[in-house]
Amino acid sequence: MATSSNAQLISTIQQVEITSQVIMKITRHCHHELEKQLDPHVNGVLLGLINENKHVLEVTHCFPLMNSDTDEGMEINREYMLEMERSLRQVNIDYQQVGFYQSTYLNTHCDRNFLDSVFDYLEEMNEAIALIYDPLKTKLGNLSIRAFKLSAPAFKLYKEDKEFTAEMLRENSLTYENLFVEIPVVIKNSSLTNVLLCELDSVQDNTSFFTLPTSSYLEKSMQLLLGGLDEINQDLQKINNHQRNVYKQQTAIMKYIQDQKEKNDARVKDGLKPLPEEDVSKIFKDFAPVGRLESLLSSNRIASHCDMIEDHVRSGIGKLYLADSFMS
Amino acid sequence: MAVEGRSVALPVRKVIIHPVVLFNIVDNYERRNDNNKRVIGTLMGRYDKGTVYVTESFAVPHQETEEEVSMDMEYAMRIGELQKKVNTSMYTVGWYSSGIIINEYSSLIHAFYKCQCPTPVHLTVDTQLKEQKMKINTHISSQIGVKNGTEGCIFTPVSHTITGAEADQVSLKFFQGLRGNKKTPNFNDQEQIITSCSEMIAQINIVMGHVKKVLSGEAPSDKELGRQLMEVVQSIPNLDGDTITNMLNSHMQDLLAVEYLTYLTRQQLAISARINQIL
Repeated sequence: MATSSNAQLISTIQQVEITSQVIMKITRHCHHELEKQLDPHVNGVLLGLINENKHVLEVTHCFPLMNSDTDEGMEINREYMLEMERSLRQVNIDYQQVGFYQSTYLNTHCDRNFLDSVFDYLEEMNEAIALIYDPLKTKLGNLSIRAFKLSAPAFKLYKEDKEFTAEMLRENSLTYENLFVEIPVVIKNSSLTNVLLCELDSVQDNTSFFTLPTSSYLEKSMQLLLGGLDEINQDLQKINNHQRNVYKQQTAIMKYIQDQKEKNDARVKDGLKPLPEEDVSKIFKDFAPVGRLESLLSSNRIASHCDMIEDHVRSGIGKLYLADSFMS
Repeated sequence: MAVEGRSVALPVRKVIIHPVVLFNIVDNYERRNDNNKRVIGTLMGRYDKGTVYVTESFAVPHQETEEEVSMDMEYAMRIGELQKKVNTSMYTVGWYSSGIIINEYSSLIHAFYKCQCPTPVHLTVDTQLKEQKMKINTHISSQIGVKNGTEGCIFTPVSHTITGAEADQVSLKFFQGLRGNKKTPNFNDQEQIITSCSEMIAQINIVMGHVKKVLSGEAPSDKELGRQLMEVVQSIPNLDGDTITNMLNSHMQDLLAVEYLTYLTRQQLAISARINQIL
């Protein structure tokens, strides 16, 4: 079966190796856009190759894409992408697409669009990954690049039908935790690049990660967290409504069957033939089950917000102690 | 911009190179064809009052033999256009080549770039490490010779700096911390704080050592340095101990409360996921 072989192939990659050139390109692209506009949503294509023996995905090149939401823009982007890949091939750059990169703002990237594009790339290529770069974290002095792929059960579900019902989730044991799988990222430089890095040694020290934990950052993350919780609450309400409706329907069905039975009994008593049993499902339509995808995504988002806040708090406490001892 | 495409020579006094350009060049050199001794490519960026900002580069296929040099100019133009699509404020500003040699072919290639921008910058990166280091040079050309007679050009060096935005510095610093061994780019904040703390302590020690030497008369005193040190000392806010402790404590409590709440949220999430699995 095609799906099962796909599902197997997905899990082969265990590590992503990325060159510093690619990271520099991504950070440059992202921060360039940040200067121009506040919308920090940038994305681009990753090129590289897959080392199947070592289960390593090597990202060796990347190029930015234009921001476009319209169909026309997508078309231009697609043409541009093809042209770019063809051209890069001429100068011996790996031309295989291995995924895409995207910037994130306080880990809010994990939504329906993201899932869709991860899936699209996966369908084209079994090993495609998504690189998430956090510019805000870099502003605070720490580089943050993470690689994700869709987990095998999620891919299977998404491929078969786009409704994530509670039963399906249970069958495939899919929770918010294993919707995406994070793959460890390592930086691998060529020797010549290392020489270059030594040459560039004169960069000034950065002290920005001594910045004390600000309440604004915390506030923002808390707001996002609350937003996520609200979403989940709404979903819960939907599910509750659905359950109530189903329950009501069931009682109605029971009542109908009871009535029917009584009528038939009466008819039998009167010596008449009983009425043929009608199919209940024709009279009562089933309610469409509530999709759990949104709540799955919100849970995933909330979990990542939690991670983020915990990280922030931990380093914050350290910094506060540091400041305390420094001041005294 | 009006400057683009004009043949008016602009004075170039300084070249500012984004580190990513150098990474590109090194990568390009490592991926060169077997028979090519060097690689060349286009530099893109912008002009600003005598300063050239080089922010992007791409390789251009070319062939060089004893007799002739040929490069795919169409390719260069095409990629240039593609790059401009994504970043509209970028223009061709010059070209690069690996190796430190500047020969007659260089002036030929330079002439080509002169058609695209008024004062092309020529960047050379010694990827062969002839002098045991990677030498990076920037040049501009000036015309010499008699008009309508034998003309030529000389390449004169211009000063350059390699710098990027703050974010690029962060990543550079991170890469330099690697020094050949692999590492994941998400190592936690605490580790980083510890390393920078020890770095800072080392720096303070250096300064203290110098100050002691000056005080004991071993080293000459420097007014400028003294002023700067004074500024550093004055930049520490003068607050009394209690206020600081209070401030820090309240902040700490905030953080702990938030941590507790997030922990609670996470547990709730985990429980709901489990329940979903069991039901």
